[in-house]
Amino acid sequence: MTDETTLEGWTPEVGGGLSLATIIDRAFDYRGNVTVVKRDGSEMVGFLFNRNSDAPEPFVQMFDLDGAGPVTIPYHTIRTIRFTGRDTAAGNSYAAWLRAKAAAKAAGHAEKDSGPTPHRDA
Amino acid sequence: MSVPLSQMWAVSSYVIRQKLAGRKRYPLVLMLEPLFRCNLACAGCGKIQYPAQILRKHLSVEQCLAAVDECGAPIVSIPGGEPLMYPDIGRLIEALIARKKYVYLCTNAILLKEKLEAGLFTPSKYLSFSVHLDGLREEHDEAVCRDGVYVQAVDAIKEALRRGFRVTTNSTLFEGASPLRMREFFDEVMDLGVEGMMISPGYSYAKAPDQEHFLRTQRAHELFSKILTNPRRRWRFNQSPLFLQFLMGKQDFECTPWGNPTYNMFGWQRPCYLLQEGYAATFKELLETTRWENYGKRSGNEKCRDCMVHCGYEPTAVNHTFSSWRGFRDTVAATVTGRF
Repeated sequence: MTDETTLEGWTPEVGGGLSLATIIDRAFDYRGNVTVVKRDGSEMVGFLFNRNSDAPEPFVQMFDLDGAGPVTIPYHTIRTIRFTGRDTAAGNSYAAWLRAKAAAKAAGHAEKDSGPTPHRDA
Repeated sequence: MSVPLSQMWAVSSYVIRQKLAGRKRYPLVLMLEPLFRCNLACAGCGKIQYPAQILRKHLSVEQCLAAVDECGAPIVSIPGGEPLMYPDIGRLIEALIARKKYVYLCTNAILLKEKLEAGLFTPSKYLSFSVHLDGLREEHDEAVCRDGVYVQAVDAIKEALRRGFRVTTNSTLFEGASPLRMREFFDEVMDLGVEGMMISPGYSYAKAPDQEHFLRTQRAHELFSKILTNPRRRWRFNQSPLFLQFLMGKQDFECTPWGNPTYNMFGWQRPCYLLQEGYAATFKELLETTRWENYGKRSGNEKCRDCMVHCGYEPTAVNHTFSSWRGFRDTVAATVTGRF
């Protein structure tokens, strides 16, 4: 019943041993929206669901905040990625549910629907 | 075995055709995820943790059918998310049945009764409702993190059976499961009149909230041995008996990650239903460009080390049946005797 660690709020910059490929891998593994900052200064916010570093031209793929896409962005156009959206995989721990259930029992609540339904927003 | 003969024949003839064609890698069950939205948030599930715009999205029926046609697997399993929340589920099922695909609609059954009463589905030998039940009432409600779901699911099962539908159950077992309670659960489920049961150990999704209750290999063998040794004659399992033997530690199988390929709004998932290491645009690309040697127990991949989940090992078991006389003999013996 571990409490989750999260990259939410992380604003990395390439350098000091941190590569763009590593940041992209972290973003691919992140279950929240991110902001891709391009070398030309433009930004795209959305969910990064795919990356392929083995392709002839490595790329990431995203759905934007409206769910439109996929948009494909080549690695070489990306400066960095900010972890700006809420991490949907964090904060919904089983331990939290057990605690809420125990508290409800202790308070004598009828247990019709005791799950603390996790937030699903971005 | 509870699988109808027509389905057994469809799968058997398909596997034999693949072997005669010399195909080393072929799909057996397409895991089709039309959406990630769900009306539950189970502690062991790593499938639904996405931002709102992703949870609102879903595949079109046309996208689903294109994937089904490209894949060619004889069986289509529809997990999710909760597929009964998919707005076009009736039309999708109808189209799959027209293609003579054997469909397992995997549902928590919260909405099943309502959808049946609305006349959304018609009974067919090609359609099974695979209802998620992880144990008796107390265990199931705890697994799905909501009280009352077991009772709802059982009501829906009864209604589906009353209307002439094929119904199976699917159960994921986690650390701490009681063999005695699971045997009682099997009795209770068979009393309902379902066609058969499917069981599997859980997989430790990196994104699942509950990380401490996934079974490790040795403990899984012990647990399944206790549950499945001396099975009752009336228990019926809707899965390969060799897979059940594998769970008990009686078969040494390697994973077949391409056996149950997964398609969802992101594309074809590499390498399997459980791991998300990227997506391919086509099934052909998935097969040809995934580094399969990096997956399975023998690869040394930590993520695969303790995995014994059905989506990787059931295809191995089925393939084993048709790869040697011994495999065929073991399958027939277990099927006829009901012992594993």
